Amino acid sequence: MTEKPIQGEKRVFMTGNEVVAWAALAANAEIMYGYPITPQNEIMHYWTRLAPKHGRKFLQTEDEISAGFTTVGGVLAGRRSFTATAGPGNTLMQEALSMAEMMRIPIVQVVTQRGGPSTATVIYSQQEVTMTCFGGNGEGARIVYSTSTHQELYDYTIKAFNTAWKYRFPTHVLGDGYQSKMRESLTMYDPEARGIDMVPTEPYVGNEGTPGVDRDPNHLRNTYNTEDELYDVVTNLMSDWEKYAPEIAEYQEYDVEDADVLIIAHGVVTRAAQAAINELRAQGKKVGHFRPVTLRPIAEEQLRKRVEQAKSVLVVESAYGQLRKILDNALYGLTTPITNFFKPGEGVTADEVVEEVNKLL
Amino acid sequence: MVRTSNIFKSCFTGLFKHSSNKNYFLENNNFEVRKIEGRIIEAYIGEYASGKSENAINRAVELREQGRKVTLVDLDLVEPFYTLRPLKKQLEELGINVIAWETRETMGLGEAGSILKPEMKWVLRREYDIILDIGYGVEGAKTFNLIEGAADNKELKIFAVVNTSRPMTASVEDIVEYVERLGKVDGLINNTHLGDETDWDIIEEGAEIISEVSKELDIPVIYTAADEKLKDMGIATDKQGIPVKYIHRYMPHSFW
Repeated sequence: MTEKPIQGEKRVFMTGNEVVAWAALAANAEIMYGYPITPQNEIMHYWTRLAPKHGRKFLQTEDEISAGFTTVGGVLAGRRSFTATAGPGNTLMQEALSMAEMMRIPIVQVVTQRGGPSTATVIYSQQEVTMTCFGGNGEGARIVYSTSTHQELYDYTIKAFNTAWKYRFPTHVLGDGYQSKMRESLTMYDPEARGIDMVPTEPYVGNEGTPGVDRDPNHLRNTYNTEDELYDVVTNLMSDWEKYAPEIAEYQEYDVEDADVLIIAHGVVTRAAQAAINELRAQGKKVGHFRPVTLRPIAEEQLRKRVEQAKSVLVVESAYGQLRKILDNALYGLTTPITNFFKPGEGVTADEVVEEVNKLL
Repeated sequence: MVRTSNIFKSCFTGLFKHSSNKNYFLENNNFEVRKIEGRIIEAYIGEYASGKSENAINRAVELREQGRKVTLVDLDLVEPFYTLRPLKKQLEELGINVIAWETRETMGLGEAGSILKPEMKWVLRREYDIILDIGYGVEGAKTFNLIEGAADNKELKIFAVVNTSRPMTASVEDIVEYVERLGKVDGLINNTHLGDETDWDIIEEGAEIISEVSKELDIPVIYTAADEKLKDMGIATDKQGIPVKYIHRYMPHSFW
């Protein structure tokens, strides 16, 4: 093994895509599988530049269907594996992600959201929320971290590998084209130097000994013969999901204690929301911000508490209600009025958020 | 205004203010521009996000302010995001001749690659000063193959822009290896910075590393770039004795 890619800590200036490649390297990811798509490409570019220097591997597949399944294969072989994609590539990857849900395969997928539906733009959106959280023919047993800064891209890419391998659910880092291409500074660090131990990996197949004699067989199935068998499997899967969801869920709150208006936003849009509340608070206006960091599972209890306290809620997103749907599900029964500010495929500025909040005050 | 740059709306306002200062210059000097002997042809190359476009734009503006006629060419065919394209109109208002696509003119940008404009291929046949903003890395450097006359143009100076806060070009060893792969390089530019967190220590750290690179490759350091916000400190040369050039950061306003 070559020396550690990052010794101690280092302040650096980078684009978001580079951050992901470095974070995967620092997290001891062993192999990336991928197929090019904008705005994800430099994750692959930088991984392929860094991987040979650090004894890591890369496989470019023929498409994203294959990239998803080879990532599953890498994990089955016990390798810390990941892939990255966007938009239509994410769509194609859903079958493999669905398989990972069914078989509890801890793959890590980085999504750099671009416009949708279909090919749309290669630029930016928050329109892959529904697909990343609930895509495929499953129940959404997936963990989705929605990042907002380069520091978070670094932190959560490392964390995603650990969450995946600890809980054995497919885990996603949900970025976007703006974060991919933006340049800002961050601190890169060796996780170990910060007391973060990487959860050990283990192979699902090819284990030593004779199954049934020396050890239990590894019963890996995504196909079942009867309804009853499937019922048991999915019931157990979702029972685990519900058990672990509260400890996985993450959120951030800004000035929520006495907030009359509560802004809810995720990902890069939280930056506009945070800037907006700073401005509004300076004017003495009681405005707060709740930011779900995990979109799946969502921090339901805390979210309900804050929404119940507020007189009015503003949901801001660069999609036409994909976050709103998740919120509605979590907030069922509450009567606090909710207003939408939807900008599918477009960025949101602090000024726009201020303007929308002022309409509610 | 470019539709997708809404997120930076407030920044643009600032930029327009900046432009109007230059209009004063144009109003007074528009007819005094004359051909100056010894034209300048420079190309800015380097690592992804090293500051190529930023330094190219600043150079073009600098030459224009000296009353020279300047053509600035966006030859970034590698990465369609941060290019000078969204700044085209503002730079034209300064009297710079800009050869670049406008985002709306393109089809499948970022998906189907960028197409060379015919004017780009023949740009070295033009008169007066020419500043070329080249795409990143070795692939970017190959762009010279597409420009008529670039291979044997004796006036063309190629400068590699380096920011040592970028981990791929942080050490002497890595930078030497990187610059050697780019082909012909006539000068190095120290563009070390950490965005808004930049202080002089960071710039000097970069200057020291790049000065080592310069000795090893026998390529001169042309200047150290520093944000104009640091100008008040009155530093004219870095500790390596290299002149400091204060630059305006245009690129944060140019997303797509």
